[in-house]
Amino acid sequence: MATAQSVFLSGIVLGSLYAMMATGLSLVWTTLGIFNFAHGIFMAVGALVAWQVGTDLGWGLGPAAGLAIGVAVLVGIGFLSELVVVRPFLARRDVVLIAVITTLSASIFFENGTLLIWGARYKQLEPLIPGKVDLLSTAISAHEVLIIVIAPLTLVLLWLFLKFTRIGSAIRAVSQNRESALLMGMNVSLLYSSAFALSAGLAGLSGILLGSVRFITPSLGAEPLVKALIVAIFGGLGSLGGTIGAAYVIGLLEAISVYFIGLYWTPALLFGVMILVLLVRPTGLFGRKG
Amino acid sequence: MAQPILEIDDLVTGYGRTQVLWGVTLALNEGERIGLFGPNGHGKSTLLKTVSGLLKPWRGAIRLNGESIGGVQPRAVVDRGLIHVPQGNVLFPQLTVVENLRLGAYARRARAEREPNLARVFELFPRLAERRRQLSRTLSGGERQMLAIGVGLMGAPKLLMLDEPTLGLAPKLKDELLDAIGKISRVGVPLVLVEQDVEFLVALTDRLYMINHGAVALDIASTDRLDHGEIMQMYFGKG
Repeated sequence: MATAQSVFLSGIVLGSLYAMMATGLSLVWTTLGIFNFAHGIFMAVGALVAWQVGTDLGWGLGPAAGLAIGVAVLVGIGFLSELVVVRPFLARRDVVLIAVITTLSASIFFENGTLLIWGARYKQLEPLIPGKVDLLSTAISAHEVLIIVIAPLTLVLLWLFLKFTRIGSAIRAVSQNRESALLMGMNVSLLYSSAFALSAGLAGLSGILLGSVRFITPSLGAEPLVKALIVAIFGGLGSLGGTIGAAYVIGLLEAISVYFIGLYWTPALLFGVMILVLLVRPTGLFGRKG
Repeated sequence: MAQPILEIDDLVTGYGRTQVLWGVTLALNEGERIGLFGPNGHGKSTLLKTVSGLLKPWRGAIRLNGESIGGVQPRAVVDRGLIHVPQGNVLFPQLTVVENLRLGAYARRARAEREPNLARVFELFPRLAERRRQLSRTLSGGERQMLAIGVGLMGAPKLLMLDEPTLGLAPKLKDELLDAIGKISRVGVPLVLVEQDVEFLVALTDRLYMINHGAVALDIASTDRLDHGEIMQMYFGKG
């Protein structure tokens, strides 16, 4: 019985992280129509900045300051990255392909940049809240509980922002009809950079939360990025609710599979499930038609 | 004579290497409503797109109240109160009617007047008020056209350009829109109206330009009586 509960909790933790990552990916996909392959390295950079700012080996300002500054820096990096690697190619018809190359290049650039600045030694963040908590009669670290709470909270805030603010509705609008957005006087380029910045901020936050569960290396985000990609496709590209739902389904599936089948075959299983779902429902599990 | 509100002088442009406009010259004076008509694919929509900044002019001038706006960003044109409602506009299909309308007042100068203008649009098109919470993709063709015009009005236009607002609509709906556009222009909004249906234009405008082969082929007062034969002749040449 206790096993089922701990598998469930571990699935929810994974799902929460995937939800934040995949939502960031999905936001860029719906708004700009491209996939950002630097999303994974953004996670690592976020964690490293938080490490530099927060831990005693860095500047020692504490985990909360690390979190805040880490996310802020990532928002800035996202904004600039859009300007440099996406903006110049947006008018081109093959922008989707070009963006694969440019965002991958950006990702390599950041990977080597982090190695240059922080070296190859593994690092870890202190948990934001130390200690253990009993949840569903399972001992779980307080930090993981925090992940379970922060993820939905962040996504609700994101939803409120997109639904009820002027800039948020404009971001949704520009993804649906660029020409109309222009004719209404929207600053389309600024909206694109904002969406990218927001997405990078989400990546940074996920990286920082993950950085005290796993070791921080430049490839911290690589494996979660693949999962987030599965989630985004599985959930139906572009639907925020679908992406979040799919994140928890994949998280739980992964936890169950890791427990019963093992770590080795789990990625294969996840890809298998994704292919099966796409065979039956080409628009994704929760995706809309057309 | 007073300075024209909109002045287009020898405008030349196109898409990529394909030239569409071959020197369009026209003017819209204070309180005037002009109509553009002519065969499909001869540059009417291209002309509006160039005026609103979606396309860059290759040559020639566009002046709004004496100020050159040729080649500026669309948002700079919107900020000057020139609103373009494009043809067959689908707006934002996944947003509700009221969300679409509110975004129509996105420009800074329209924002203060947003809620009063929203009330005015709902008064003009009661059907939009009924469907305010519906996603705009669920609207019928006529309702979508009303929404497109409503979004244009939300931008507090000082000059409104409508591109074929009755495209593909049933006659009854056409009459409804004719009514609505008439009301809009009667409150003194200058109008540039593109239409295939010349009778529709005659009812709503003071002057007509016929655009043929990317240039103005004819400039006539709408009060001149046009009969069907003459229009046919304009389209197809003398038989």
